[in-house]
This record gives sequence, structure tokens and C-alpha cells, in this order.
Amino acid sequence: MSEAKFVPEIAPNPPQRALALHRQLDRVWANGPGLWGQITAVNHTTLGLRFMGTALIFFAIGGILAMLIRAQLATPQGAFLDTDLYNQFFTMHGSIMMFLFAIPMLEGLAIYMLPKILGTRDMAFPRLTALGYWCYLFGGLILLIALFAGVAPRDGWFMYTPLSSATYSPGINADVWLLGITFVEISAICAAVEITVTILRQRAPGMKLTQMPLLAWYMLGTSAMMLVGFPPLILGSILLEVERAFDWPFFDVARGGDPLLWQHLFWLFGHPEVYIIFLPAAGVLSTIIPVLCRTTIVGYGAIVAAIVALVFLSFGLWVHHMFTVGIPHMALAFFSAASVLVAVPTAVQVFAWIGTMWKGQPQLRLPMLHVLGFFLTFVMGGLTGVMLAIVPFNWQAHDTAFVTAHLHYVLIGGFVFPMMAAATYWMPQITGRAPIKGLGAAAFWVILIGFHGTFFIMHLTGLMGMPRRIDVYPANPEWTWLNLTSSIFGFVMTIGFALFALDLILQALMGRRTARNPWRAPTLEWAMLLPTPSYTFASLPLPQQQDAQARLTLARGEGALPGAARGVRELLVTDAGTARPDHVAVLPGNSALPLGLAAAIGLFVLMMLAGLYWLTLPALALVAALVWRWGRGMAFTRDHAPVTVAPGLDLPVQCHTPMTLSHTGAVCLLVANGTLFASLLFGVGFLSVVAPGWPAPPPGHGGVAEAWMIGATLVALVFGAFAVRLADRARRSGAGMLAGAGAGAGFVSNLVALALIAWLAGTALDDPTGHARDALRGVLAGYVGLHAFIVTGFAAFAFDQARRGEIAPSRPGSLPGWRLWQDYTAATALIAAAIVLWQGGAA
Amino acid sequence: MKLLAWTLAGPTIWAIVFSLVYALHGAGCALGWQDVEAPLGSAHRLALTLAWSAGLVACGMLLAVRPAGEGREAYLPRAGAWIGLGATLFTLFPVVFASTC
Amino acid sequence: MRVLLDVLPHPIKRFALLTVPLGLAGCEGGLSALAPAGPVAADIAWLWWAMLAGATLLTLLVVVLLVLAFGPPRAVSDRRWTHGLGLWFSLGILTSVLIAGLWVGERILPRDDGAVEVEAHAYQWGWRFTQPGADGPVETDGVLHIPANRPVDVLVTTEDVIHAFWVPRLAGKIDAIPGRINRLRLQADVPGTLSGTCAEFCGIGHAGMRFEVIVHADEDWPDALAAATGGADE
Repeated sequence: MSEAKFVPEIAPNPPQRALALHRQLDRVWANGPGLWGQITAVNHTTLGLRFMGTALIFFAIGGILAMLIRAQLATPQGAFLDTDLYNQFFTMHGSIMMFLFAIPMLEGLAIYMLPKILGTRDMAFPRLTALGYWCYLFGGLILLIALFAGVAPRDGWFMYTPLSSATYSPGINADVWLLGITFVEISAICAAVEITVTILRQRAPGMKLTQMPLLAWYMLGTSAMMLVGFPPLILGSILLEVERAFDWPFFDVARGGDPLLWQHLFWLFGHPEVYIIFLPAAGVLSTIIPVLCRTTIVGYGAIVAAIVALVFLSFGLWVHHMFTVGIPHMALAFFSAASVLVAVPTAVQVFAWIGTMWKGQPQLRLPMLHVLGFFLTFVMGGLTGVMLAIVPFNWQAHDTAFVTAHLHYVLIGGFVFPMMAAATYWMPQITGRAPIKGLGAAAFWVILIGFHGTFFIMHLTGLMGMPRRIDVYPANPEWTWLNLTSSIFGFVMTIGFALFALDLILQALMGRRTARNPWRAPTLEWAMLLPTPSYTFASLPLPQQQDAQARLTLARGEGALPGAARGVRELLVTDAGTARPDHVAVLPGNSALPLGLAAAIGLFVLMMLAGLYWLTLPALALVAALVWRWGRGMAFTRDHAPVTVAPGLDLPVQCHTPMTLSHTGAVCLLVANGTLFASLLFGVGFLSVVAPGWPAPPPGHGGVAEAWMIGATLVALVFGAFAVRLADRARRSGAGMLAGAGAGAGFVSNLVALALIAWLAGTALDDPTGHARDALRGVLAGYVGLHAFIVTGFAAFAFDQARRGEIAPSRPGSLPGWRLWQDYTAATALIAAAIVLWQGGAA
Repeated sequence: MKLLAWTLAGPTIWAIVFSLVYALHGAGCALGWQDVEAPLGSAHRLALTLAWSAGLVACGMLLAVRPAGEGREAYLPRAGAWIGLGATLFTLFPVVFASTC
Repeated sequence: MRVLLDVLPHPIKRFALLTVPLGLAGCEGGLSALAPAGPVAADIAWLWWAMLAGATLLTLLVVVLLVLAFGPPRAVSDRRWTHGLGLWFSLGILTSVLIAGLWVGERILPRDDGAVEVEAHAYQWGWRFTQPGADGPVETDGVLHIPANRPVDVLVTTEDVIHAFWVPRLAGKIDAIPGRINRLRLQADVPGTLSGTCAEFCGIGHAGMRFEVIVHADEDWPDALAAATGGADE
């Protein structure tokens, strides 16, 4: 199948004066002045750097906690910390490094790099980038404040219940984790949605999927995993918080719950998470290694296949964290085999990289040192990972220092070393300055020696029986020298990281100006001014310009869509498969709305934390109002003329096309949402089949009246789906009044559905604190109710748009988005209703 | 997008079969299928083996119908189908011998 | 010690001898999984030494390949690296490791063979054990009594949060999960005293949640149990 015929030859634009173009673009794309300008910034370069900078601060805090832990363990009877504080510190060390360092770091890297390597000007949803950042910052601050106030989480970073339940963890420590981390995860979902959309829809014209830089493939894999990986944890956190706050017994075995449900939901996220962290790092390696070896990558296709395999297989490993919970050997065997098999795509990549080094001529420059550090460390971590995948060995090594050693080999080897390679490689691109000689290499060696000195013997410590998470070991003097060695080298490693940070700071402040493309890299992030201008490319690279050497051509406006003559932020949207130009998207400008919305969500979280549950309702109303404002900010009030992208190529603006960025984004969000719902269904199935304490006692309510009410709710929601179609058909034929009437009818029917659900929840469902069955029914009702509320809002928004005349024959306005959500709501409501009725009938 | 769909088809089959077999395993143990006599030892092992075989057949069919061609556009769908087949074979072969419950 | 030396291949014995004496304080052998005192732990230790040897060779292979990479550019075959080494070479090694693991796993599972059944009940923060005495169950606190040379199944339960029962010199660990009874097979070769610990983090008292396992000679069981726990009047 030749795809060339789908991508018409695009002629370059005539050259213009580069400086004039720069001024015109910078006026439109730049952040505002001063502090307010920083607060309202939505630019991906600004926010990408801010994500990474904030992540580094959290890395430093997590590192200090690690040093406190090592100080305590240096002697058998450490009296340095009391046990409660020690428990808080190791819990926070893990939580910070995972959720506040690694994930935001890779999000920042993706947000910073993707538009540059794909040849576009910003991420798909700039305000969402900013919202994600503020949610991350506020969630992180909640955790930090709890740490300084001495009420930090203390149940371990995987928060096993019942230890984390209200009975065994009274106080707000566990709530801080559940609410704070979920708050932070909003940023992960935001990032996942826009990374996916940006890669699929914003590649430079003609850059086919099979031609895009490998880093983009890795990021696509990462974002897909985040869309599917985070929802189980978000669901688990919500359920556990609801259990703690309102006593709904999802995990309480006496009332039909099961603590193993938490472990399943947590590790359904937790293991993919490891690969979510590893894939971007591997993407960095696939980018850097060929450049530093002056060659091209070995096995592009095999690497893409390996990414696909990793994305899928990593969802089939989670039970290897649960090998000791008493699952039958056959089930363990499935997960053992999958855990072993996942090493194959990893090996494919490792050997492709080594092959690349054989093919080219490796230069031992600073990033290459970190690449070598990666190889040594990660290969060992991968091999101990295979050992841990072997069931009988896992039974011995599980929950010991051996696992601590393994996970640090994998995470520091597989993420931190590649990130240090990335930092030293891209610092000239970020700052426009060259590195200062010597210090970086010293930092590398100190870190490498410190790391292996700390963690290598920790394998032995674990095999000699030292469990994780103990603070004293008076009965085991044989562990003393092992722990003391680890502690000493731990401090060496810390010194190394301090040197590394110092090196970066000195380079940013005092480095001389760098050459324009110091590594002679081929990728597009070097085809621009250094440091990056606010708009990245003055014109977007056409097929023959997708190389770092096209810098001047692009700056002179010879690519697509040059300048910003219309005074708005424009970029080119292409088709997902072939990157055929589809339309021009106008992006929103600087805005304080993301900060406001994040603050409103933060208010909700704080009210939950304080136990002021009724006050969460006004906070939610504020959130809804701001979301409305958000939507209004992107409403098009009039028709827009097609935009000339290149000679002979005129494209419509997004308000006139069906397949907008927002549409693709909504689909991505619904994929994540659907995964959350599927996780809930898994919970229903797991508890009702596996948990002790079932079958549930016969329901007190229910019967014919209840069934009728549920049926009426479904009819109302399905009617909403007809209403949106009616409105859209009327809109197409120019009957604006009728479109408004359709939206109004949809609004009323959705409102009726909402009222029916509220009535059902209030009167017809059994007390959810009685048994897990009733708690699950309550959650299903809540899920459908929330969605009924959302589609009611969509209908109201469409009605308002119709009233204002913003819905026109050529402009569908919010109707396509409403339709997607209405259909989703009706479908999930149908499934939820079937379960509620079945559980009622079964009893 | 067609390319992505063909490439992801194989791993998706694996994901479905893997979830199905794991779910059947859990349900079977909870409902006592391991004590029901059937070919291959028990109804439990029979059900699991059938589900596994169905997955293998599906992957094999995918290999047969995948688009032909050269270059990366053909390599990725081919690799995807093999990943599906290999993963189904490798991760679920314990159904034939491991202790069930 | 003798058991350890019996199961290990010769070159490993010398290394094992280096590590074991470190674990001799307190109970014999401490908590070291590398000093097995029964066939289950010995099987796992054997698996470990084999995997360690393999992992060492593979690490060396990667290091050598990396060192050799620092030469002049060479013509390479993409498929040899990605499919040859990446896919088939690794798949071959991994398959053999997996089969060894599953085989050992099946070998050490509890089975219906008239094993001695004892109960281990975990609570925050300690252990209560029940052993079958001559005149009915005998309860003990913090000390588990078992006979040597006979398979023993430990039925592990919990009073409150999740704990894990672990006697590294005898077997792997198993969690104590609310609402469930988990079964762990272990066997001790010779009489003696061994250490056990809670391995799953369970709150403030986790580090101190230790217990002892006293192994009695097979021919003295269950009389030795009665003698050790103060007779049958319990």
C-alpha cells in the first residue's frame, strides 16, 4: 500500500526576513511579563522545564530522606529516628521518588521535547499542561507539609490495607497519601492525554508513524500505558479513601471486602508504572546513542516492536508482587512466565543499542559515561528481576533488602542514569551554553561508585534475611557491616548527586555559548534558536525539511504556516497515520484559569482531608463553574476563513472540522475513564467470586419499584443520546432553533436521570456500610450519577452555545464532545444497572 | 492508524486470552471445577486449556491474514502477530501441567 | 551446615562457608536463606546459586561487548543483534530458567501426604502457634515446635493486619491475610533452634516481630513438645 499518494507534495513558502518573523511570533507566543506572566504561562518549554525543575527538588528531598534512613540503619540499634518517624520517612521516600520525581520528570521531558522533535509549536492542550503542573505542585505540597508537620503517611508506599485502614491507621496520615497522590495523578492523566494527542495529530506534515524519531514511539507507548495504568490506582485510592471516610467496606473482610483487592488494583498500576518510567529513559538512549556513535540506530523496526511488546506484557506481571499471598501455583506460573518474557523485548533493545555502538564509533563524552553507567547498572537490575520472577526464589527474596537492591538497580539504572545522560546531552539545547569541563565526569564516577557500593551488597543483606522496612536489628549483628557499608556509600552517592546538580547550575550560569548543534544530531530540536524561542519553529518543517540542518530554512519561514500574521497561536494538525495536513488549530493563549481550577480541586482535597465533607460540595461547584469557563474560552463565535499553510494548500480552522485535537483528546480521556470503570467491574467480580464473606445477605430493598426506577434512568440517558443526534442533525440543516431545542431536551432528560439516581441512592439502595455488595452498588450509582451530572453540563453548555448562535451549519461547537460523553454514559449506566439488578436478583 | 491497528491486534489477543484464562482460573477455583471429572483431568484444566488453544488459534489466524508487503509498514504487523502468538504460548503453557488450586 | 555442603556444587561451597559463619550469632545460622536447614530451602538456595552464576556470565558478556564497541566502525547485521542476541539468545536462557523455577515450585508445594500440621496466628506484634500434641493441640507464644525430617505444613492466619511468616533457613515466606488460611510447606533436617520473622511491614512493632522454631528429633515427637511446653496439662 503506497501511502505517498495521500500526502500531496507541499511547496515551500517564499523566504522572509527571519528577524521580523521572530518578532511577530514571539509577540503572540511569549509568556506575559513578570511573576503574573509565569503564573499564566501555558507554553510547553516553560512548563516542561518547570516540571523537571520541580521534580529535581523533590528528588533532592527524597534523597535527604534516604540519607536519614541510611543513617538509622548504619548501626543495629540506631537511635537516630524513632520508629514512627522512620516509617514516615521510608513511606515518603518511596512515594516522593515514584510520584513526585520519576513520573513528573518524564512528563516534563515529554512536554519539553515532543513539540520540538515532532516539528510543531506546542502541546495539543496548553492549558491542560499548566493544569497538570499546578495539580502536581499542590498535591506535592500537601504531602510535604504533612511531612514537616509529622503526619506523613507511614504505611509503606504501597499502602497495604488493612494496615492503612481507619482501624489500624487512625489520623490523617493515610488520607494525606490517598488524596495527595490522587491529586498529583490528575497531572499524569492530563499529560497522558496530551502526549498521545500531540504524537498522533501534530507530527510535521508527511512524518509517518514509521518515520518519527524513536523517542516519540517510546513516549506514545508511555502515554498509552499511563492512560490504562493509572486508573486502577485512582480507583483503588478512591475506594480506600471512601472506606476510611465513610466506612464503606471494600477491603474489610468481615463485611464482604478483601484486602487483596487493594493489592490487585495497586499493582495493576504499580508494575506498568515501572515500564512507564523506563520507556522514556529508553527513548532517550535510543536518541543519544546513535548520535554519540556518529551512526544510525540498529533495528528501528525491532525496537518499535519491542516497545509494543513491553506496553502489553507489562500489564501481565502485576501478580509477581503478590507471589506470597497464597495464590495457587498455576496462576503464579502465568505471571512468572510473563515476568520472565518481558525481559525479551528489553534484551532486544539492549542488544540493539550495543549493536549501534559496534556499528558506529562511540565517543566517550559525558552523556556516554552515563549511558555506560546505565548499561552496567540496568543489566544487573534486569537480571535480578528475572530471578525475582522465579516463584520459589521470590518466596525467599520477597520483602527483603534483596528487593530493595533490585528496584534501585532498575530505577536508578533504568531511569536516573539515562536522565543524567539526557540532562548532559540536552543542557546546551535548553540553556544555549556549553558544559564546564571536568566536574560532570567527576560527578558521574562518584555517583557510580556510591551507587554500587550502596546497593550491590544489599542483595546479600537481603539473602541473609534482612526484611525491608525494619529500623533496628539487635538480634542480627551479622548484618551490621553490610548495612554500615551501604550507609557510607549512600553518602558518597549523595555527594555525587550534589556535584551533578552543581555542574548543571554552573553550566546554566557560567557556561560559554554553545555551538548550534554541538553533537551534530539529526533531530529537529536542534533546528531552532538556542535557547528555544517561545514558538519553537518560525515555520513548520515540510517533509524535505525534517532535519536539524533545516534550521535556517525554517527560520526564514520556508516551511508550513510561517509566522503569526493573524495574531493567534496556530499550529498544523495532521492525520494520525500518514501525517497528511488536516486543519489548522488555534490554541488558547496565556491564562490563569489552570491555576484557578487546580486551586479549586485543591480546596476539595483539603476539605476531604479536614473531614469537612459537606464543604466539599461548594468546592465541587467551584470546579464545575471553572470547567464551564474553560469550555467558554475555546468557543468559536464566528466562521473562520481557511488559512493558507503553503502555496496552494488552504486548510480550515478547527471549528469547521470534526476530527479536532479536542475530539482525539476526549477519546483518550474516555479510554482512561473506561479503564477506571473496567477496574471497578473487576472489583465487583473479584469480591463476589473470590472474597470470603460472600454471598451477601439478602438485600433489604429492591424489587419491582427499584427495577422500574433503574429502567427509567436508563431511558432518560438513552433519550439524551437521541437528543444530541437530533440537535446535530438540525444544526447541519441550518435549523438553529431546533438544535437549541434538542440540546434543551437533552438537558431536561439528563437532569431527570440525575434526579432518579439521587432518589435511588437515597431511598432504594441498602446501607452501603453493611456489606461490600451494597458499597459496590453505591459506587456504581455514584459513578453513573457523576456522569449524568457531566452530560447534564454538556447539554446545558450546548444549549447555551445554540442560544448565542455559536452552533452553526459549518460549526458543530460542543455537540461532538457531548455526543461522545452521552454515549459513554448511557453504555456504562446500562452495565452498572445490569450489575445492580443481577446482584439484587441473585440474592 | 491502520498500521497501529494491525500491529496491536496480536498483543491485544494475548491480553484478552491472558485475562480470560486468569479469570477462569480464579472462578474455577472458587466454584470447585477442579473436582469435576473431565478429559485432561478436571473440568477446570479442560476449560483453561480450551481457552488457551482458542487464543493460539486466533493468533495463528492473524498471522495468516496480516497484510503482506515490505519495509517497516509490513514488519510491524508481522512482529505484532508473532508477539501475540509467542506471548500466548509462553505465558499460558502452565495450564497443561501446573497444580490448579 | 552439613546439609548446605551436601547440596552445593563444589566451588560454591567455599563462598558459602565465608558467608555462613556471619550468621551464626543468636540462633544457628540467623535468618540466612543461604544457609538452608531443610530440603525446601536447599532447593531454593540451589536455584539461587545457579541463577547467580548465569547472571554473572551474562553481565560479563554485556561488559565485554561494550568494551569491544569502542573500536573502529564495523559493518553489523541488524537482525543478528536484535533477533539473534535480543530475541532467541535471551529467550533460550529465560525458558530454561523458567522451567527450572516451575519445576522447583511444583516440588516444594504442600501436598496431601500426611504432613504434620501446625498453626501460626499472627497479631500486632507477635505470633501464637498451635502444635498437635499427644493429648490435643498445644498452644505456644513466640516459639514454634516441629519435628525434624518430616514435612510440616504451617497454616498461617492473622488477627489484624497483613503479616508474613518466614523462617529463611527452612522455606520461603507466606503472607498472613485477613480472612484467609494460607499453607506453607517446610521441613527441617536436624534438631536445633532456628529464627523466624515477620516479613511484611505491619506497623510500629514490625522489626521486633520475631519468633523461634525449635526442631525436635523425629523419634522424640510429640513427647519432646510436651516436655518443652510444660507437659500435657496445658
